[in-house]
Amino acid sequence: MRVPLAWLREYVELPAEPHRVAEMLAAIGFPVDAIEERPVITGVLAGRIEELEKHPNADKLQVGRINVGNGAPLTIATAATNVAQGQTIGVATIGARLPQMTIEPRKMRGIESQGMMISADELALPGDWFENGIMQFDGDLAPGSDLIEYFRLGDAVLDVDITTNRVDAMSMIGLARELAAYQGAILRMPPLDYAVTGDGPQPIVSIETADCRRFAAQRFSELTVRGSPAWMRIRLALAGQRPINNLVDISNYVMLETGQPLHFYDDDRIVNHHLIVRDARPGERLTTLDGEEHELDPDDLVIAGEREVEGLAGLKGGRNSEVTDATRAILLESANFSGPRVRRMSARAGLRTEASTRHEKGLPLFLTGLGQQRAAHLLSAGGAIAHPVHAFGESPQPMDPIPLRIDDIRRLLGYAPSNTETIELLDRLGFAVTPHGERELLVTPPLWRRDVGAAADVIEEIARMAGYDRIEAVLPAVEPNVIESMAYERETDVAHTLCGLGYHEITTVALTGAQIGERFARAGLPLPHTPVEVMNPLSEEQRYLRFALEPACIEYFSRRHSPARVFEIGHTFYHDGREPRERSMMTFAFSAQRGADPAWRDSHFLRLKGDAEILMHRLTGRRDFSYAPAELSGAHPGKTAIMLLDGREIARLFQIDPRLQAAFDAALPMYACSADLQAIPPYAWPSYQARPKYPSTYRDLALVCDIQLPAARIERAIAASLPALCTGVHTFDEYRGPQVPEGKKSVAVRVTLQRPDATITDQEADAAVQHALAELRELGATLRT
Amino acid sequence: MLPGAFVMTELDNQLTELRARFSYEIEEAGDEQALEAVRVLFLGRSGYITALRRSIGQLPAQERPAAGRVINQAVEAMQAQLLQRERTLSARAFQEELNHRIDVTMPAPDPGEGSIHPTRRIIETVCRYFSSHGFAVVLGPEIEPEYYNFDALNIPADHPAREGFDSFWITPQLLLRPHTSPMQIRTMEQHRPPIAVVVPGRCYRRDAVDARHHFQFTQIEGLYVARDAHMGHLKGLLTGMCRELFGAQQQVRFRPSFFPFTEPSAEVDTTCPLCSGAGGTCRMCGGSGWIELGGSGMVHPNVLAKMEYDPQVYSGWAFGLGAERLAIVRYDIDDIRRLYENDPDFLQQLA
Repeated sequence: MRVPLAWLREYVELPAEPHRVAEMLAAIGFPVDAIEERPVITGVLAGRIEELEKHPNADKLQVGRINVGNGAPLTIATAATNVAQGQTIGVATIGARLPQMTIEPRKMRGIESQGMMISADELALPGDWFENGIMQFDGDLAPGSDLIEYFRLGDAVLDVDITTNRVDAMSMIGLARELAAYQGAILRMPPLDYAVTGDGPQPIVSIETADCRRFAAQRFSELTVRGSPAWMRIRLALAGQRPINNLVDISNYVMLETGQPLHFYDDDRIVNHHLIVRDARPGERLTTLDGEEHELDPDDLVIAGEREVEGLAGLKGGRNSEVTDATRAILLESANFSGPRVRRMSARAGLRTEASTRHEKGLPLFLTGLGQQRAAHLLSAGGAIAHPVHAFGESPQPMDPIPLRIDDIRRLLGYAPSNTETIELLDRLGFAVTPHGERELLVTPPLWRRDVGAAADVIEEIARMAGYDRIEAVLPAVEPNVIESMAYERETDVAHTLCGLGYHEITTVALTGAQIGERFARAGLPLPHTPVEVMNPLSEEQRYLRFALEPACIEYFSRRHSPARVFEIGHTFYHDGREPRERSMMTFAFSAQRGADPAWRDSHFLRLKGDAEILMHRLTGRRDFSYAPAELSGAHPGKTAIMLLDGREIARLFQIDPRLQAAFDAALPMYACSADLQAIPPYAWPSYQARPKYPSTYRDLALVCDIQLPAARIERAIAASLPALCTGVHTFDEYRGPQVPEGKKSVAVRVTLQRPDATITDQEADAAVQHALAELRELGATLRT
Repeated sequence: MLPGAFVMTELDNQLTELRARFSYEIEEAGDEQALEAVRVLFLGRSGYITALRRSIGQLPAQERPAAGRVINQAVEAMQAQLLQRERTLSARAFQEELNHRIDVTMPAPDPGEGSIHPTRRIIETVCRYFSSHGFAVVLGPEIEPEYYNFDALNIPADHPAREGFDSFWITPQLLLRPHTSPMQIRTMEQHRPPIAVVVPGRCYRRDAVDARHHFQFTQIEGLYVARDAHMGHLKGLLTGMCRELFGAQQQVRFRPSFFPFTEPSAEVDTTCPLCSGAGGTCRMCGGSGWIELGGSGMVHPNVLAKMEYDPQVYSGWAFGLGAERLAIVRYDIDDIRRLYENDPDFLQQLA
């Protein structure tokens, strides 16, 4: 909210420096987003036009004799056309400093002009919100008054952030009340008195809904619609509200001043002075003040006359009963509407007004009276005849007292002011406090505070007024608890292991556009998962949640020409047909130069597998992984493996399908390993196995077998055939080509043999190999000759 | 001259000659291998000395001991010579290696170093600090039902505070969490006090992207519920955390604020590390001398009651910090988007 300090100072004594006021506001929970300093303006005085005549030498100029208090009147020429004898205007005297210039004596077509008549622009006010030409002041302003001092135009404007719970502070009085309480100063309320002199027909308000709890209605007659006094127009303009006319301005002024939105209906347009607060009926329509036509929804709360709808409650008035220059009598509305209801209407109408931002937060009933009285005072002061006020609905009632256990203050804050101080602080804020026994206070919030409903709220008020700086920093002795950090520690392990293996961690956005789907389509591949879609994306580029981490890696690689290694840990999402599913995933990937490997071998894939085994060993403490070939969309059909532990998938390893790689415009082949972090079994502590102390021996076997026979099958068969002697089988070479028959390959395997009880002899080793070879024959593997 | 004396003289002569040859040979031997060959030739099992010993057998019995002594003395001397030469050679060999001189300023080959993302480094530092004070680190889902995001956190439908959470909705009931606070509820549902957890996690809000805002960000939630939890503990731990991250001079300031799920509530600021709180024209803090870290407060009694924790017995506090914000300050990053762009130079610089 824009808060002109000049306005705020009317209600409370404040330090001169704007930043000190800002600091105080921040200290009590109203941070100041910006301090708008006003330009330095000097030498601008109020002047009365005593005489005005045409310039003898210029058709478009007039020359005035201006009374500026002391001394002789000043002779000033002007090109403005809205000037007339008797007007009170602003005069920039010789030497005056204005935002754009300094005033010097000058001759205008032969006449020495001793200053300048000014427009609103020269006072750094929005020129198009004021008179076109010379700004007009009120007749009671004494000539010679310094306008900057008089209207405090040099005082800064603060942009104050008001949290949604403090609608009571969304006003000058509301903030002044807080500042007064914090400083222990007095709050000066503006005058609210007025005389009821009219006795015309009574307004009637029928409330047909629970969503209007109070409606004060009052008629004012004998009105003349004209411009507001300068002080009000200046305050409204500084607060960001455009001045319109004396009626509209009063309703805006009172809303900014008290926080209570008002509405003025042209009373002559309201049949029988009768208003009805009710739900809109199907098919009803309303043209609002801004000329927009709205088709109303039964959930809209309307203020209707006997014939037609006159406005959307708390949101905007209707054109039918709009105040115009011809208005002679008004019906004032100061009402309280349900916050949620106004919020829904506002959302539906796509319309937010100063009034609705207040109503939707749930205004205190108390404010209806304050707003009505203040408006009545201002309208009467402007010459209107006030008729009796009629209030409908509930009257504001104090809340039941809140029991506050005194010990709870320390329990929540870690410190507590003395009881005397506590009571004093609450009293300043308008809370009524009564001791209840030794250890309890009964606290009744003031009528304007709807946000305080429990002891914790009261404690916050105490802390706020005492100052949050009094909360002392101490360390708790946290009792041991049983909550586990396993998932987090796993992520940390993954990150550090992969970092050690030379991978860079990347963080990409989880919301993507249609481009991933398009790349798969371009590659002629189906999407591996149905993506989860956001209902209200910010843009088409952020419509889908990522279903995998690999596409971001591919995009990363596609942007560079040299090989790179990256990993990402993050959530992925897919739709299982019934509901969105979420997984916590890890992917590491690299791009590599195309190697010289034959079609049946890929050393990059083996590197990937090696890294996967290091990682999975680190995570699980185990090494007994197995692998099964697989086919996945987006993966090379001949270079894909599922990594298994205890028969369950723990990771997938693959080369990115070259077609997908091309669809991403990536130059280098890419390899990726992905794992669902929740599918990886927890770390198993290994136990130490003492090795036999007798030396081992080994035999290298060159075996010829069918191309399709996996090396792992051979290794398993050998190990299984020699349970007592074999302590290791390791395939160390593979060969295909002219040296072996068509459809066959040669595999070199080293078999390590050892006896637990004695040194194994050559004869025993040879016999073991013969035994293993016999078993291998069943797999079609024979010793190469 | 006695025949024996002649023989002894003969032996002496032979030994003298042998030792002269031996001296010559070991001086000739340029390395340990050659020296070993000399040893074998003279002192080995079938070397000259052995041959000489055998010849003693031809001496009269009474002269044999003296002859043996003479040979033994010679062998001892030769072995001493051998050892001496061995030491010389070994020293020479070391000397040669020790004479190597390299240019230690030559660049190392690219070690293929990996890196951890700066945001993770921040999370790890914060989590490590809280772990050291007895906090567990838990993680949670990013798609959450409305209930966990809002209702259970004392933000019913139509609550004006929902406006502060402009969220991405997946279905009318499910949304991408706009904060990590749903994990307060999940943790309190699953455990009984004492509860001490921190929750790092990805959050999403419909914010336009600029240098300071992103629709995707990382929050670090903290929750402590116990019989004696109070705001002083919150301030104490956050101060400790800031000192861990930014240095021992850090201060933490609380400012009153409003969050529906905490009461009292506080905004948390820490001394701007760039200007050490001096403010002025500091680009990091905009001259205020303080950096805003996030929101915090005492868990609202309604939230505790919903979890069936008696608010008269238990109290708790919670906080939510922006990890990216901490990273921006810690690493002096000029634009939050860099944390999602993965520029190799950026990652390498901050690795």
